[in-house]
Amino acid sequence: MKKSKDPFEIAFEEQEESPPESPVGLDENESQAAAGPGGGDQDMNANVLTTGQSTAAAGSVPMGTAAQVGKNKEEDEDEEEENMDVELGKLRPSGDPTKTAKMQEILSQFTEEQMSRYESFRRSGFQKSNMKRLLTNMTGSAKISIPMTIVVSGIAKMFVGELVETARVVMSERRDTGPIRPCHMREAYRRLKLDGKIPKRSVPRLFR
Amino acid sequence: MSNTTAGPSKVRPGSSQPSESSKRKRGMFQKDLQHMMYGFGDDANPLPETVALVEDIVVEYVTEMVHKAQDIASKRGKLLTEDFLFLIRKDLPKLNRCTELLSMNEELKQARKAFEVDEEKLASTD
Repeated sequence: MKKSKDPFEIAFEEQEESPPESPVGLDENESQAAAGPGGGDQDMNANVLTTGQSTAAAGSVPMGTAAQVGKNKEEDEDEEEENMDVELGKLRPSGDPTKTAKMQEILSQFTEEQMSRYESFRRSGFQKSNMKRLLTNMTGSAKISIPMTIVVSGIAKMFVGELVETARVVMSERRDTGPIRPCHMREAYRRLKLDGKIPKRSVPRLFR
Repeated sequence: MSNTTAGPSKVRPGSSQPSESSKRKRGMFQKDLQHMMYGFGDDANPLPETVALVEDIVVEYVTEMVHKAQDIASKRGKLLTEDFLFLIRKDLPKLNRCTELLSMNEELKQARKAFEVDEEKLASTD
């Protein structure tokens, strides 16, 4: 997906600290956090952005944004300058207040491990330049617009999420533990194929 | 661990690109994928063979999507973002996420424009 270029996200993450104590309802939080990448994803994002808006005035943002800007200058020349200013946060319309409050409550109860995992989930994304190069090679030199890389990266990230979650389900069925192994991943891929989530070639490729 | 999805990874038959850009380098998304897989529930250090497998799967997925989008777009002419959105229309979470990303991008663009206008004003009044 996209790299986390969102200043609001970074503002939110900069000011977030590890919560003091472990949550009581650990399983509940875990399942809610895991449910995030699925259907509730867009809600969570909207609410974190709102939270980021309210904290954008905090002075902790410039560090994160300066680092982002430095990194982004290395990218393509038509790549716009990102994360320019803190005031951008104020322009974000407020999301659903109940959801925001719920989200904040959940986040405040995260353990350190959950928080780091959530941060990885939010911040991770495919490099725009790599995705752009891949798309250009695939389409045969048609000019790839920035929104297109954003969309494809977003779709790909969610696809990875589906794969990993299905692989975890497979693992729990087989009562395996530890890191995901390729056999789980292949089984997950097979199941997604059966679900019809994988686009199939209608005409078989002849000369590979 | 043998990778069976090695097919589309190397030379593209229809591409007229010079050889070094049509060959896909291994581990192009490796670092990003490691963080992503951790975020979605894998171990903090995913196995490298799993990461490689996921990379292959994702590249194949993106390839198929792009080809399908090109098929759709060829009727109209140029490949547009809307073609991808049409492809994922059945998958609601993905569709919602993509529309959200696009609107966020638009907002950021507007905000940046407004910022530049402000800067000009400040510079002219100084």
